[in-house]
Amino acid sequence: MSAFLNTRVSIFSERLWSPGQYSALMRTPDAEMVQTLERQGLPSLAAGYSSQDSLSLESRIITQLLEETLIIVRPLRGAARQFILYWTERFDVSNVKTLLRAKMADERPAAVASRLVNMGPFARLDLDSLVHAEDETELFRRLESSPYADIVRHALRAFEESRDPFILDATLDRVYYEGLVRRAKSLDSQVGRDLGVLMADLIDRINLVWLLRYRFNYELPAAQVYYLLVGTGYRLSGELLQKLVTQPSMEAVMAQLPAPMAGTLEGARSIVDVFRRLEGVAKHHATRVLAIGANALERAFAYLILREQNLRAVRAIMRGRHLRLPVDNIQQAIGPDLMGSV
Amino acid sequence: MFRALPMARVTLWFLASEAPDAALLLARHGNFGPAPDTGEELRVAFPESPAERYRETYQEAESRLAKILEHCGGPMPEIPADAVAPGLGELEEINDWLRQLWHTCSSVSENEQRIQEEQKRLAALQETFTRLEGLNLDLSRLFRPRGLLDARLGQVPASNVRRLKDALQLAGFVLSVFDQTEGQVFAVVAGPRGGGDEIGGLLSQAGWRELPVPKELQTHPEQARNFLAAEAKRLEVEYGAHCRLMGENVSRFGERIREIRVQLALARPLAEASMQGVRGKRHLAVFSGWVPKRDLKALHADLEARFHGRYQMSSRAPAPEEAGHIPSLLVYPFWIKPFVPLVKSYGVPRYGEFDPSLLFAVTYIFLFGAMFGDVGHGAVIMALAAFLGGKLNWLRVVGMCAGASSILFGFLYGSIFGYEEVLHPLWQSPLHHAGEMLVLAVYGGVGFICATLLINTYNRVKAGHTAEALFDSTGLAGLVFYLAMVFGLRAVFTGEAFGTSSAVAALLGIGVIAAFKWLESHAGLGERLLVTFIETLETGINLFANTLSFLRVAAFSLNHVALALAIFTLARGMDGAGHWVTVVLGNVVIIVLEGGIVAIQALRLMYYEGFSRFFGGDGVEFNPLRLEPGRGQG
Repeated sequence: MSAFLNTRVSIFSERLWSPGQYSALMRTPDAEMVQTLERQGLPSLAAGYSSQDSLSLESRIITQLLEETLIIVRPLRGAARQFILYWTERFDVSNVKTLLRAKMADERPAAVASRLVNMGPFARLDLDSLVHAEDETELFRRLESSPYADIVRHALRAFEESRDPFILDATLDRVYYEGLVRRAKSLDSQVGRDLGVLMADLIDRINLVWLLRYRFNYELPAAQVYYLLVGTGYRLSGELLQKLVTQPSMEAVMAQLPAPMAGTLEGARSIVDVFRRLEGVAKHHATRVLAIGANALERAFAYLILREQNLRAVRAIMRGRHLRLPVDNIQQAIGPDLMGSV
Repeated sequence: MFRALPMARVTLWFLASEAPDAALLLARHGNFGPAPDTGEELRVAFPESPAERYRETYQEAESRLAKILEHCGGPMPEIPADAVAPGLGELEEINDWLRQLWHTCSSVSENEQRIQEEQKRLAALQETFTRLEGLNLDLSRLFRPRGLLDARLGQVPASNVRRLKDALQLAGFVLSVFDQTEGQVFAVVAGPRGGGDEIGGLLSQAGWRELPVPKELQTHPEQARNFLAAEAKRLEVEYGAHCRLMGENVSRFGERIREIRVQLALARPLAEASMQGVRGKRHLAVFSGWVPKRDLKALHADLEARFHGRYQMSSRAPAPEEAGHIPSLLVYPFWIKPFVPLVKSYGVPRYGEFDPSLLFAVTYIFLFGAMFGDVGHGAVIMALAAFLGGKLNWLRVVGMCAGASSILFGFLYGSIFGYEEVLHPLWQSPLHHAGEMLVLAVYGGVGFICATLLINTYNRVKAGHTAEALFDSTGLAGLVFYLAMVFGLRAVFTGEAFGTSSAVAALLGIGVIAAFKWLESHAGLGERLLVTFIETLETGINLFANTLSFLRVAAFSLNHVALALAIFTLARGMDGAGHWVTVVLGNVVIIVLEGGIVAIQALRLMYYEGFSRFFGGDGVEFNPLRLEPGRGQG
């Protein structure tokens, strides 16, 4: 099975975009965009190119990702399969967030339904019944009997006490990523070190960016910020996070970071910059795992990470073109790492 | 019987104000399956979706009604024959009324939950109090509002305790656990007064629930106990009042709810049709969909009788580009119907595709009998199947036919309850002609696979995929390769040479298949090579693996006799009653265990060796509008 998955992932990896392809897409005349996207193996994005609806663009990108994940997950069994399936569930978590916010704002069911991600064969939520919940209390009750009961129960308790949508979103995200870490750790004995590297890139980036945002943008107390972070055993350990949240400024946080993260982030002045640099490192690691990794699951996960980065960059280009933005601005939005200038 | 009924693409124009009644008439007619028009013309000419608001309102109302019915349901009332569908205004009124009623029901339900939660909390408080009492702690001093210590008593999910402890430390607070029950931990959080603001958000985040310690609880233990007992009594009274209110609601709103159920059932056809795209422009509404060709005249007559010319209807034959979207309406004689669920569990025949239900019924019964041929066992299965009812009613005919087939093959094999010497075989006993049985099974498999390849060729031609019919592995090229290999191998097994003509035909067949796979795959060079190689190789392997699969037909007929022999050997070792008990129990095991396995094996042969070769099963079942309650109230 792993030989089959390895071959499948190698074939898929030919679909990944190079910096040159992004540049070419930015400069492609409007009339040729549909053919170009089709040639690049993105027929679903080509089909909706004329529609300038950003929601439908997002949903087509997710559909493309889910279609490829479906093929990747087919030969997997047991914990490895559960891990990749759980990786897709973050789109469902985003559906839960959309539903909760919509219910708080008392939106009409039809309006909410159009914003939900269609999970296709991965669907685990009865979205049709959830959009018709009368209010957030009823929605919570229904979610409590869904496959996401565990994630939602934590959020419900936090929300009941605070009635703050921010706390709700933060709790859902935290509990989701903690679930991902648990599933990744359960694979430790079956895979090599590369899954740990990919997960560390993901979780450390999330933790550092959240920490900076909550502490210095939202000015939350250190204790609460610490509680909102994903509990992990990766490079940013629990003790280090406790130390980081008590630092008085972003510069002080940067000064306490361990190598090689400190080197990567040297001179970073904004949270966006921090995110970009760490994403660049994650891309570098994922590319290496995909090229020379020995384990099929690790290579598949690396591919899914890179593919998502790819498609999000394509989305940025398409949105930029619809908004008639200059090429320089679109390049900036994608970031120098994907454009190949770093 | 071998194909779906011919369908016609129908477009109907009505006045927009009459759209609900038009949909209702179509539902009563029961043969109009709404489907969006695939052409651009209709979409451009009629850009509006006049029934969208109607559908949204219906869905909201239907969902609310379903929730309300959970509280105060009842049987679905009759729908009067002359009832008309509600307009949008009436539907919105219904929806508003249901919203208000749901709020009442929901607040009642929430109240019930609140009381139950309060009862739980009170029970926890009682337990907490008992434990605090044991600690000999002066609660009034601990929770003194003007003290230096900011102390809180509360509960938190056990899974959050460790992290909460760490986080509280950062704010200079400590958490001390003193009790645990059902995943909840009871604890005291204490720290310097003035730091409360910092930990407020954190405690919310952790799902901390403050346990209010009433003054009564902070005083004398006897007084505290009295307070807890009084609280329990109060909640009991409150719960009783709540139950009375629920009962009143049911009798107060029952009649109106019944009326609304009828109204929503009448509104459902338009709401459902609009999901498939009712188009419109200004005062016109356009329905498009499929109608069986044979029902066109009757539909025309019904429309004329109701709308007296205030409509327009056009129909045409399905266009080739609509092939994958045309629904299949399959009509069966009564004796095939019980087998249809087994076919549909694999898939629905595509429009124009060969419907394998008859082939399935005949072959399945034949295979079952051939694998489980025994007059006695067949008679028992037949008799047991005759008593099936309820949810298993559909299985009755299948079981009886399987039993009859088993009896027939029992006479052919000369077997009754495993005894081989009681009946003289009309044909031959499998055990004494094992080799012959195995060869016959393989020939049967060859015949079956050839039939599936021919049916698939027909299906491909009908679907307009002539190239696939001629050159693909499951088309004529596959058949040529397969037959050439069968003849060649037969010659080899009988001691002759493979034969040049067989070799040339086989190479030609597989060569055509490989070339076709290469031309059909649109991918990079690596993927194309891989797909062509793997799929061509798979063709050869699959055809022969599937043929050998039919060996199980003979193997199971042998197995049946062998199992009976084993039981008789055991029985012979016993005397009197022991002998007969062993024989009877052994036969029960054969019927239940082997009968079950053979039933599954016959199904497996049909699905994997048969259907997978010619039956796409990706058809769309014809799903006409019908007058019935929504899914939540059905």
